[in-house]
Amino acid sequence: MQQVERKTPAGEWADRYRNQWKWDKVTWGSHSVDCYPGGCPWRVYVRDGKIVREEQGGKLPVIEQGVPDMNPMGCQKGASWCHLHSSPDRITYPMKRAGERGEGKWKRVSWDEAFTDIADAMLDAVQEQGAESIINLMTPEPGAAPARMFSNALGSPTTDGNSEFQDFSPGYYITWGKFNPVSSMDDWFLAELTLIWHCNPVYTNIHWYHYVSESRYNGGEVVTIAPDFSPSAIHADYHMPVKIGSDAALALSMCKVIIDAGLYKKRFVQEQTDLALLVRKDNLRFLRGSDMAEGDRDDQFFWMDAKSKVPTPAPRGTLAMADVDPALEGTYTVTLKDGSKVEVTPAFERLRERLKDYEPDVAAKICEIHPDMIRSLARKVATRRTKIFSGWNSGKYYHGDLYERSMALLLALTGNWGKKGTGTRSWAISGLDGGAFVRNKGRMGQDAAREWVTNLAKARRMLTQDDPTLTLEMVTYRAAQMAAELGGLGRMIPPAFLWYYQYGYKDRWNNPDNNDPSMKRTFDEYLNEAIDKGWWDAGLAKTYREVTPRVLFESGGNMLRRQRGGQKLLLEKLWPELKMIVSVDYRINTTGLYSDYILPAAQHYEKIGNSMPSVHHMNFVLIDKAVDPPDDAMNDYDIGIGLVRKIEERATAREMLQFTDRGGVVHDLHDITNRLTMNGALLDEEARVDEALKDDAAYGILPPDSSLEVARQKGAIRWTGWGLVGHGLGQASTIKPDEVHNPFRWHTEDKVPYPTLTRRAQFYIDHEWFLEAGEELPVHKEPPTHGGPSRKFKMTSGHNRWSIHSMNMTNNIILNTHRGEPFMFINDQDAKAKGIENGEWVNVVSDVGSMEITAKISPSVRPGQVIVYNGFEPYMHRNWYSQADVEPGHVKWLGLVGGYGHLQYRPLQWQPVPADRAVYVDVEKIS
Amino acid sequence: MGTITQSKRQLAWVFDLNKCIGCQTCSVACKMLWTQDGGSEHMWWMTVNTQPGKGTPKDYETMGGGYRNGKQTPGKLPTREEFGGGWDYNYDEVLRGGKGRTAHLEKIAGSKTWGPNWDEDEGGGEFPNAYFFYLPRLCNHCTQPGCVEACPNDALYKDPENGLVLRNEDLCKGAQMCARACPYKKIYFNPDRGVSQQCIGCFPRIEQGVAPACVRQCPGRAAWIGFLDDERGPVSRLVNKWKVALPLHAEWETKPNVYYIPPLAPVPLNADGSFNEGGERIPESYLRTLFGADVTGAVDTLKAEMAKRRRGEPSEVMDMLIMYHWEECLGPFDRDPAEIVWASNGAD
Repeated sequence: MQQVERKTPAGEWADRYRNQWKWDKVTWGSHSVDCYPGGCPWRVYVRDGKIVREEQGGKLPVIEQGVPDMNPMGCQKGASWCHLHSSPDRITYPMKRAGERGEGKWKRVSWDEAFTDIADAMLDAVQEQGAESIINLMTPEPGAAPARMFSNALGSPTTDGNSEFQDFSPGYYITWGKFNPVSSMDDWFLAELTLIWHCNPVYTNIHWYHYVSESRYNGGEVVTIAPDFSPSAIHADYHMPVKIGSDAALALSMCKVIIDAGLYKKRFVQEQTDLALLVRKDNLRFLRGSDMAEGDRDDQFFWMDAKSKVPTPAPRGTLAMADVDPALEGTYTVTLKDGSKVEVTPAFERLRERLKDYEPDVAAKICEIHPDMIRSLARKVATRRTKIFSGWNSGKYYHGDLYERSMALLLALTGNWGKKGTGTRSWAISGLDGGAFVRNKGRMGQDAAREWVTNLAKARRMLTQDDPTLTLEMVTYRAAQMAAELGGLGRMIPPAFLWYYQYGYKDRWNNPDNNDPSMKRTFDEYLNEAIDKGWWDAGLAKTYREVTPRVLFESGGNMLRRQRGGQKLLLEKLWPELKMIVSVDYRINTTGLYSDYILPAAQHYEKIGNSMPSVHHMNFVLIDKAVDPPDDAMNDYDIGIGLVRKIEERATAREMLQFTDRGGVVHDLHDITNRLTMNGALLDEEARVDEALKDDAAYGILPPDSSLEVARQKGAIRWTGWGLVGHGLGQASTIKPDEVHNPFRWHTEDKVPYPTLTRRAQFYIDHEWFLEAGEELPVHKEPPTHGGPSRKFKMTSGHNRWSIHSMNMTNNIILNTHRGEPFMFINDQDAKAKGIENGEWVNVVSDVGSMEITAKISPSVRPGQVIVYNGFEPYMHRNWYSQADVEPGHVKWLGLVGGYGHLQYRPLQWQPVPADRAVYVDVEKIS
Repeated sequence: MGTITQSKRQLAWVFDLNKCIGCQTCSVACKMLWTQDGGSEHMWWMTVNTQPGKGTPKDYETMGGGYRNGKQTPGKLPTREEFGGGWDYNYDEVLRGGKGRTAHLEKIAGSKTWGPNWDEDEGGGEFPNAYFFYLPRLCNHCTQPGCVEACPNDALYKDPENGLVLRNEDLCKGAQMCARACPYKKIYFNPDRGVSQQCIGCFPRIEQGVAPACVRQCPGRAAWIGFLDDERGPVSRLVNKWKVALPLHAEWETKPNVYYIPPLAPVPLNADGSFNEGGERIPESYLRTLFGADVTGAVDTLKAEMAKRRRGEPSEVMDMLIMYHWEECLGPFDRDPAEIVWASNGAD
């Protein structure tokens, strides 16, 4: 469309402004970063070969009539992303360390010199201890992943991101066998009651939050449950100021109110949950097939039919109850296979027993709120379509699993999942098949893609041979577990064992102050038992007793900021062992400063990519290349290829054409590039992306005509199917073109079983450790005194408003929108008592370390709480010690459980994860 | 001194303070578009501040300007220090200086004591009854603009077509009488160019049928633009028909054209920790200092309309605030800017 000739303001000054808004090129863009919902379709405006600004596309359609559209998706970080392109911390030439690590002295080198040094260090590491001594850190920037391509050739492990950056929801996983069934964000409009609980969406879900305010205008109610008067409380109808770490007590008390008042959805509980399954009173284990008959399954569970009073096998292949009416209450006697008799009760009966501890008057004292709040909210949840807007805050508490199990229980009792306007949230990605499979399918073209998935489906069906009741979802998870067990190319490992054996965490995790006082044995005893039983063999747990890391490869991440437990520990224990540290990034972050090489990566809009393919928006969103990377900066893919080629070259020169890894797998070190690129066909960026998109169409994930060309026209293409890679099948709902997405519907409507041990949403975990801990059912436990029992403040945290992790933190535009220096929030009365002035630098101390930070004083903060929104670059702090240095960084011992149905390692799912919330600290003036 | 010539029509903005989440996307969008050149580093024509708070420039509400009983009242010229920000940092020293941990990233330019959003999320009250909300501010494009009258060089005027207050920078000599006269203190001085600058209402966008960046880029869907006399448009209906959108500090008598849906807040707690249903968390007296006595009626209407919807009844106000289709907030300026093709010589 040609511009309209209509202008009133005249003169040079007016044209100066007019020209400021002009461009000569516009492309679609987004940001391939770990932000949720992510997926904002932006327009990127280029003038004279330079990106001048970006603006939201605003073209997303209404999906469901009567539900607002998603426009204009974006935030302040995205609106100033291009400012990062020319920020003084941008790096555009390969740099080699010219001083001590961390000193900040650099020498510009050629790519060839850098690749040669790095490749040799990797081959040295392979020769010395094996490829396991090369650590690839999984980072939350998917766009940077191709730089780690060498791990496919060497079989070097990548540490699992869900533990590295800890965005896991362990309690949801324990309950559903998956942590990430999420709605599309427009479904939040349909909630009648939204509980913002363990999340701060006003900061972290900027382009999503409008659905919450709009649901309120649509007649819904919003209740924020948070220890502080959080920024996400200001637009709520109610704020419940719960004590830090008391969320399980609150949820369980609401559950008690609901059950006592008979408000629970009995049929939903019977059918969708394990609460009708029978539990033996003698050993508190489920009554199992192996108890009842010789040769019966250990994972066959039983109901008591209320009509016939006969213990009846609960079907494993369906949730449908047929004409059984499973009892939820009562005690029954059952005859076991050896003729002995035991008493059994439905798990629900045990739950009622447990809930006796959570009378509202009692729970209110634990939560430091008024009991009437509990009673009134419980009744609302029981009678309205309710959503819990949770984030990854709960999972970062030591007992976050218990909070999440309790919150899920509240939803289960009230039937609040599997229908529009209900459920909870976490993160979920899907639609990844095209990119993931493109180099596996053997040749270019969509016929090859279709053959590949057909064969894959056949191979997976083989897994159902010994158990025809396995659902497609279960088979897919089993395949992922097998891939982890078999190891080999591109394997992912849970990093906890590496931390424990090699990063220096052993002492911390064994410190009783850091652990739950109800632990019956030492951390070491549990850990050794877990290792001895082989629960973590797939995660190379035993390997890292011996293998010391020699090469650390960070692409797009910032370990020295992120690692709970702090950089001090890493620099003392890990760094001296490392022969080579590489940071691939577009900027110099703190980890880069402590690296031996920084390799300059292309920024967004300097390469073709796509945004985080999140279930929250359900679109493929193109990030087109608007300009070339500056100077020597390169696309991450090309960096990955360059390194692989150099590994081939150096391996040949060193006569290391192949090596055998610990598992006996032989790795060829020649011809890698051809294998990874389909003989070079994928080297061209446009061809690679186009092929992946066309494959996605062939897989049914995108409409049939999809291609790079179509993506360039539309910017965003809505999914038509889930595919196999990612969390799509876990959504367990079919994508409909004209409806919001709400997960769980295959379970609630089609009665497809859940991927848990009991095949139902599982609230009773009869694993021996859970029983020993008294956590077979959700329970309230106080957070441990990690940080030091005598310290006066509890430090909480959350993602910040101003940056995705530390990525945007040094953007000068963004710095000017807040204090422009690291700060923590402290209550006004607390600050007054300590004589701390607003803006003053203070010292925050725990038993493991300290950091200097400025104080920001607000009555919104709970007395006794300090809040540090994370993401400040350590080098923004005096002395560079930051929040993570105050956090002990330990894991809850029950995270080590394995060998129990769904409680075993699967990449990005069940594994030990670090706790960093409610750390005991002191705040000191700096004299 | 300049004279005010009234325009045929008046553009107005509405911001819903119950949807504004203080994300600063509007501020950043404006900054990226208009104030990146030398001399404008410290300028934020669009700002969002936490209320209660001192805002930007610091304590601007105490600086005078505007009118009392129709007469211009003297106002203070805010200092750069009071505007705050304008920060630059010692990136090179930290990243390439070889100093290791002895140097950390710190400000090497700009205000030492304040920033455009320095008191973000501090607010007022006492825990657990603390309170705060976000207030986006830009030039009010006033109907009685003190800046226009104060200008000794006739540089400021109201655009006859749409009522935007614009500065002919070719005439501006940097006298800054406008900045003294403006009670909202939204006028900045560009030391490199020797002229004052403020929000231009994105007139280059407006004249192409594209909404201002602050409105079009608001992810909270909390902003609307439109002509006040367009009775079908949400701006007019919210301001004139339903009277739920109010101007800020109308007592300054400049007849501002930016309107606000006043903030609600969670019900406060009683001393025993129970909910005080019907109590006020944000003191009404405080809201009156910002939005005048009409705020009571506006809040009552808002609550009544929300109650209607909760009873399942229709509500025109709620429908507007929900904004089922995002384009509704753009008024007549709903053109997609990416579709514009500029003439190849770079000038139109």
